[in-house]
Amino acid sequence: MTTNRPSRRLSVVSLFALVFLVVAILCGLAIGPTSISVATIASDVLRRVGIGHGHLSGLDATIIWQIRAPRMVLGLLVGAMLAVAGGTYQGVFRNPLADPYLLGVAAGAGLGATIAIVHDGGSVSPPSWTPLLAFIGAMVSVALTWTIGGRGARSTTATLVLAGVAVAALLTSAQTFLQQQASAQSIARVYIWLLGSLATASWTSVWSTLPYVVVCCAVCVAAGRALDVMSVGEDEARALGLPVRRVRAVVIVASSLGTAAVVSVVGLIGFVGIIVPHVVRLMVGTSYRRILPLCVIVGAAFVVLTDTVARTVLAPTELPLGVVTAVIGAPVFVLILSVRRSVTT
Amino acid sequence: MTIVVKELSVQIGKAHILSEVTLAVGPGTWCTVIGPNGAGKTSLLSVMAGLRRASSGAVEIDGIDIHALSERDRARRVAYVPQDPIVPPGMAARDYVTLGRTASHGLLRAPSRSDLDIVDGVIDRLGLGGLATRDVATLSGGERQRVVLARALAQGTRVVLLDEPTTGLDVRHQIEMLELLRKEVDECELTVVATLHDLTLAGLFADHMVLLHQGRVVETGAPSTVVRSSALSASYETSLQVIDVDGRDVVIPGRPLTTRQ
Repeated sequence: MTTNRPSRRLSVVSLFALVFLVVAILCGLAIGPTSISVATIASDVLRRVGIGHGHLSGLDATIIWQIRAPRMVLGLLVGAMLAVAGGTYQGVFRNPLADPYLLGVAAGAGLGATIAIVHDGGSVSPPSWTPLLAFIGAMVSVALTWTIGGRGARSTTATLVLAGVAVAALLTSAQTFLQQQASAQSIARVYIWLLGSLATASWTSVWSTLPYVVVCCAVCVAAGRALDVMSVGEDEARALGLPVRRVRAVVIVASSLGTAAVVSVVGLIGFVGIIVPHVVRLMVGTSYRRILPLCVIVGAAFVVLTDTVARTVLAPTELPLGVVTAVIGAPVFVLILSVRRSVTT
Repeated sequence: MTIVVKELSVQIGKAHILSEVTLAVGPGTWCTVIGPNGAGKTSLLSVMAGLRRASSGAVEIDGIDIHALSERDRARRVAYVPQDPIVPPGMAARDYVTLGRTASHGLLRAPSRSDLDIVDGVIDRLGLGGLATRDVATLSGGERQRVVLARALAQGTRVVLLDEPTTGLDVRHQIEMLELLRKEVDECELTVVATLHDLTLAGLFADHMVLLHQGRVVETGAPSTVVRSSALSASYETSLQVIDVDGRDVVIPGRPLTTRQ
């Protein structure tokens, strides 16, 4: 299939990605207001699996295992899912500007969350059923987009994208209207939610998103070969034996479902879904068989690392994660772009 | 394999794109479809490839309706090269040719050893060895067309449909391309249906010729008969003269009939 050079490049990049992931995980656990060394954490992990006797003090153990670990794991899940969904969308729509929010997931989730927060009135944090409403909103909006633009013999990816634009515009205006009617406090909370944060992470939120992320990422990664065939356009892909409509439906459902699951828990984290696939593509070339598995690793690491930055630079205040992903991601992307010079889908 | 088109009509709104087109092409036969722009050549080929549905009529391959087949089964029987193939940048020529094996190995499995052997065989036959690792998007027009032909042949189908396979090629590369295809037809008993604009080349390489005009078959038969028919000049609305050069028909265009004094 490939000559030696690209496959050696792939091994090198994969190795770097894994190192990046390990570094991100360690940063996610060790860095924070209470400094706990990596060695102490490692010895505690080893004791838990039955090796050695090192352990953390009661408070440190709580900080690591009840606060930082679930937050770090949720960051991994969110990053992996958004990056894979973005890469998949770029493949299926053959459009470098596609991101996981293309079909209205963000607008739907935003509307759902806004309804929950505004309805709840004056409490300090968003109500516990915000994720549920956000998830429902996201799925309803994708379903709506699909109903308008994705069905019937004449549907193409272009009609689908346009339907997504229309649905997103409609739901965003509804969301803005609701927000405008609400109290100043609710507006602030809606705003914070829209910018995304991992601050509310818990093992419960990890367990509730994990199944979606695992299944949806697996489906998208498995579709890599089909997406490579689709790079010759829908007609030619059909002539090559690809059931284009079915593949398109499956990967869109998987990406949207996974995105809805993570977005409903952490809010709208931008930039990951568009930047990570492009960075990976610039490193390993245009084949989705290579891009998508690497998106899982790089996306996961990227979000954990940016979240660590978001919660430490202005501690105890947390920066919105969506802001940090852009602030860190954009320069990195520009740097890689100027080094590699060409961007293609 | 024989591909049969039965009273095929395609209508979009009120426009009749194809009207009751009937033709049959058997194994080891090259049929070239000619006709002026807008005659319906491309529509005919895309319906024959199963990519588009007809308003009425049918396309059958060895007696099986092409629309009764799944995409994968269809791709095992018919290969199709569109007029303007999309070449994805960043893909190596060999990987591009390997796309032709998709229907064989499926979507979840990697191409098998035998798939890759077929790919390498085709690359060898078409003399593309030196281009195998090149990015398809950086190939010249002639190289690109050969790589696209290689992808179609790698599909290993008995029927190959080509829409203007020589577009944008200089005369040497046009002949090279058609020679390659002729060899495949003769050696592998392929059934080929191609559209071509160059009437002399069309006559030189085809076994059978169909002249389409305004969606209808107006003349069909051996190339020498079709190029000499009065229908030819009438369809193109141009006076066309055929002269014999060493036993080959050469079609020479004159000034359009309407503007000639």
